[in-house]
Parts: sequence; structure tokens; C-alpha cells
Amino acid sequence: MATSFATKRLSKELNKINGQLPPGISLVKADDFQEWQLDIKVLDNNPIYLNQTYRLMFKFSSSYPIEPPEVTFLACPDRPIPMHPHIYSNGIICLDLLGMQGWSPVQNVESICMSLQSMLTGNTKNERPEGDQQFVANNRRRPRDIDFYYHDNTV
Amino acid sequence: MSLQGHNPPPNTPSSDYSLSPRVSRRQPRTQMSTDRAANLNISHTVDLRALVYVGTVDQNLICAICRCALVDPVTTHCGHTFCQSCIDDALSHSQLCPVDRSWLSLADLKPSPRIIVNQLDDLKAKCPSCSIAYARSMLQNHLERYCKEALVFCAGKNTEQGCEETVKRRFSDKGCLHYTTECPDCQESLLMVELEDHREKLCDQRNRHCERCGAELLRCKESDHETECPDAIACCKWAEYGCEHEAKRRELPLHLDECSFKLVGPMAEILKKEINTLRSEVRTLTETNQLQERRIKFLENGFRDPYRPLDYSDFSDQTLSAIPEAGNPEPLSAGSEYLLSLLEAQESKMSQLSAAMTENEAKQTTLLFNETIPIKNELAEIRSMQQTTSMHVRWLLRFRLQDNHRRLGTGPGSNGGSDGATGGGSSNDSPLPRRLSDGLSRDIITKL
Ligand SMILES: [Zn+2]
Ligand SMILES: [Zn+2]
Ligand SMILES: [Zn+2]
Ligand SMILES: [Zn+2]
Ligand SMILES: [Zn+2]
Ligand SMILES: [Zn+2]
Ligand SMILES: [Zn+2]
Repeated sequence: MATSFATKRLSKELNKINGQLPPGISLVKADDFQEWQLDIKVLDNNPIYLNQTYRLMFKFSSSYPIEPPEVTFLACPDRPIPMHPHIYSNGIICLDLLGMQGWSPVQNVESICMSLQSMLTGNTKNERPEGDQQFVANNRRRPRDIDFYYHDNTV
Repeated sequence: MSLQGHNPPPNTPSSDYSLSPRVSRRQPRTQMSTDRAANLNISHTVDLRALVYVGTVDQNLICAICRCALVDPVTTHCGHTFCQSCIDDALSHSQLCPVDRSWLSLADLKPSPRIIVNQLDDLKAKCPSCSIAYARSMLQNHLERYCKEALVFCAGKNTEQGCEETVKRRFSDKGCLHYTTECPDCQESLLMVELEDHREKLCDQRNRHCERCGAELLRCKESDHETECPDAIACCKWAEYGCEHEAKRRELPLHLDECSFKLVGPMAEILKKEINTLRSEVRTLTETNQLQERRIKFLENGFRDPYRPLDYSDFSDQTLSAIPEAGNPEPLSAGSEYLLSLLEAQESKMSQLSAAMTENEAKQTTLLFNETIPIKNELAEIRSMQQTTSMHVRWLLRFRLQDNHRRLGTGPGSNGGSDGATGGGSSNDSPLPRRLSDGLSRDIITKL
């Protein structure tokens, strides 16, 4: 039952995505309802991201959209990981919107893409998060769990 | 019993909605036949989230969680509407309104206003079995009682055979079809219920080439082809007026040029049309004539009436009319007949008027519909564009604000604490992204 709910919702979203997407967002792969890939571009002239396209990987659990999808940047030829103080060099994104606390079931793939576009648009620092090397070398957790862990730590 | 030619099914929403109980009371026979069928019905559950709707469903009727037209809608105290099951799931995960993030518990949910429920009930969706469109609220009933393609118990269930199979409803009035028969085309033995499907789709002998025109056709549809085969022998277009020419259908146009009736034919056609209009005119004239005759009689009778004791004439007319001497039964019956015919004339006028009105209404709605669709599309586009721009504007503002803070040194230091903290690399960053994304998500959410 739960699986089919996520599947139905995702098939609705896919229908919409196949029809029309906001500028700078395009669908790359959606062969099933577990894993999608989309490309995003930054639309303004921010020199950090000029003429670049970035690939996003979405992983959906059977509880989507009650639970957030796992969203990471994916490095592949022509598709680097964007420089940002909240994006680790392994593609993991530190964005509350994608964590258990910040997520809302009215969000969808399209709105997540637009949020990430905006996150890049607003950025001026051409740098990685502090401790990036160490984090990338040691992390074995899934992005969702990390988010949870460091909310606990900070508060 | 054929696939083509759907009569409007008995539960067509527009007329049947309010009328059905009255109609069935007036016609006990229909009631009985459905009763008999009722014990073969299977209860179907319609998955409302899997329906295909006709046209686009109004954005305001879409649940933000499942993205489908609302099912059992409930409205929160903050004024947002969701499916009952969707918001239940969401609240079991976090006790916030998914749209505006205000505190929310199951107790804050109320059934949505009647107007929303009615709009949802009226949404037209395709029947999952026969693909004919019905109001969503009628689908369950349609599937369980009327849908020709929905499954019901085999009619053999109630006989001594005790057949336990299910069949499509359109087969159910033919008795149990679960006996073996032979395909007339390929001689394969199969169940009678499967024969139609087999002959149309599966049989490897199902196709045949027309021996006249060579076109490929289904064996079970041979008779349909007969009337359109270009190589079949057909009569001249003017056969009705005396031409005896017969030729292959494709060659008939050639004959038309040399047909000896080619001048007479069209004339005869016109005459025929004229005669028909004249006939109908004559018919209406006789009708009015009859009406006027009755009227004259009525008036004449009215003049005679004063000289006659009224109650006596009534009496004589109704009870003693068998006796020839008991006065002329004409006057009264003529009078009431005249009134009756007046009534009839009025009634037919009324029905004409209402027919014209419904026709007009239909025209108007399609016109309106066609006009509003592009407007709606444009609106949706503008809405989404406005969403992105306003989001970006807010981002730029926020960015500018942070810039200012930074320039002012230790401003009203909201980041002050965490800036100085010596936590792990990642914890150092968390306050900033969280605030950013919060603002962001609210931006998007409020626009949705
Ligand atoms: Zn709300
Ligand atoms: Zn819903
Ligand atoms: Zn149906
Ligand atoms: Zn049977
Ligand atoms: Zn066959
Ligand atoms: Zn033919
Ligand atoms: Zn002829």
C-alpha cells in the first residue's frame, strides 16, 4: 500500500515533469520510481557556476512524500559537484529542507530543484564546507541520518 | 449484443442523479430486473487516486500531498485541505501543517465544506473498466450495477451447475458461458466466454483477405465490410428512380457520368425532399384544422348550453350515453377534447422549448469551456513564473542583508554565536543553511 502511494504520487510528478519544467531544470533519467536523475543550471551570471550543469540524484523511499527523498549531487563527465559552503565534495547537500525536520510532503522534485537552484544563485563563496576532506573520507552514513545527527549536536 | 453503439447507460449522471428513485418506483419492472441481477453483482472498490479524469482538474481540488483530486477531504484550522488519509500520514510523521508549518493535530481537522465535496463528486472520471466518463461519485454504483465491462458472477451461479466463475456483465444475461465450444475460424476448442475476444484478437485465423478487394479484415466482422467493400457489386445511386445499372462500388462514380438518370436523379431527389416537406406541412395543417373544428364545436356547444339544464346533461352524458336517445354525447366530449388538445399542443411546445434550451446550454458550456482552457493554462504558467521570480528576489534580498551585516562587522549578530563556536566542521555550518532553507521552503510553500 505504502509503495503504491509513493509510486502514484511520483507518476503524477513525472507526468507534469514530462510536460513542462521551469527554466534550467531538465529530466535525465526516471526509469523507475526509486531513483531519478535531473540536471540543473544556475540561471543568473554568478561567476562560480557560469556555464555549468550539475546532476542531481533523487532516491525515493516507499514513504515518499511523507518522508523526504535522498538528494545528492552526482559527479560524472561534464557534471562536477558545485562549489558551495553547504555542499560536500562527495555531493552530499547540507540543506534543512531535505532533512526530516525541514521537509514537508507538499514539496516535490520540481520544488527541490528550484530550491537548490536558488541556493546556488545566492552563494558568493567559492569554497567547500569546513572539514570537507575529513568528512568525505570518514562518512559512511546516508545523508538523511547525517542531517539528523548534526541537528542533535548543534542544538 | 455488440461492442459498438453504446446506449446511454441507465445511470447517466445528468438525468438520473435526482430522478432515479422516482423512476424506479413508477416502473416496477425495471426494479425487478435489477433485483434479479443484483445477486450476481460483485462489490468493486474504486481506487479514486488511480482514476483518469476528463479534462484538467481544478488546481484547488488537488491534494498537495498525493497530488490527486482530493479523496475524503478534511480542512485544517489554518484553512488548508487535504485527503483524510494523506494528512493522517503526514501528522504521524510531524505535527505541522505541511503547507504553512503551523502546529496541527488530528483534532484540528474538520470535514471539508459541502461545496468542496460537491465539486469533487461532480468531477468526471473514466470508468476503469469501460472508459466511459461518469461523475466520480457515480462510479462505484456504475461498476457494481451497470458497467458492461465490469466483472459479475456468472449467471450459472444460481442454477444447479453452481458455476463459480466471473464474467463481464455484458455476457451475464446469456446464461453460463463456461462450456467448451469451437472457434468457427480455427477449430480450436475454447470456452464460450472467450470466443469473442479470441475471434477479435487472438485467433491466428482471425484475419482474412476479402476475396474481392484483397483488404485484410476480421472474419467476425465480415458482414460490416460487405457494405463498404470497393469491389462488391452495388446499385447505382439512382436505383430508386429506375436505373438498373449494377457495378463494383469503386466503378460506380464512372457510371454516374453516363447514367441515363443523371439529370432526372437530382431532380427526383429535390422533388422527394419537397414532397416530404409538403407532407409534413399537410400533417400540421390537418392537426390545426382538427383543433379548430373542435374549437368551433366547443363554441357552438357553449351557445347551446344556456338552454339546457347543465347537471342533467352531465348525467346523461356520463351514464346514459349507451342509450341513443339520451341526447348527443358530442358537446361535452368535444369541449373537453378541445381543452385536452390545447394542453397537448402546449406540452409539445414546452418540450420543444426545453429541448432548444438544453441544446443552447450545451453550446454555451462548450463555448465557455473552450475559451477558459487557454486562460487557465496561461494562468498556471504565470503562477509558476511568479513563484520562481519571487523566490529569487527574496534570495537576493537576503543575500544583500547578509552582506550588510558582514560589512557592519558584528551586527545584530544572529550568527555571532555559531561563528565563534569550535564545533566539528559540519556543525559549524548548520545554522546558516537551516535558516536559508526555511525561508526558501516557506516561499515555495505559500505559493503552492
Ligand atoms: Zn495550514
Ligand atoms: Zn491526498
Ligand atoms: Zn464502466
Ligand atoms: Zn459459468
Ligand atoms: Zn480461432
Ligand atoms: Zn472487400
Ligand atoms: Zn445509373
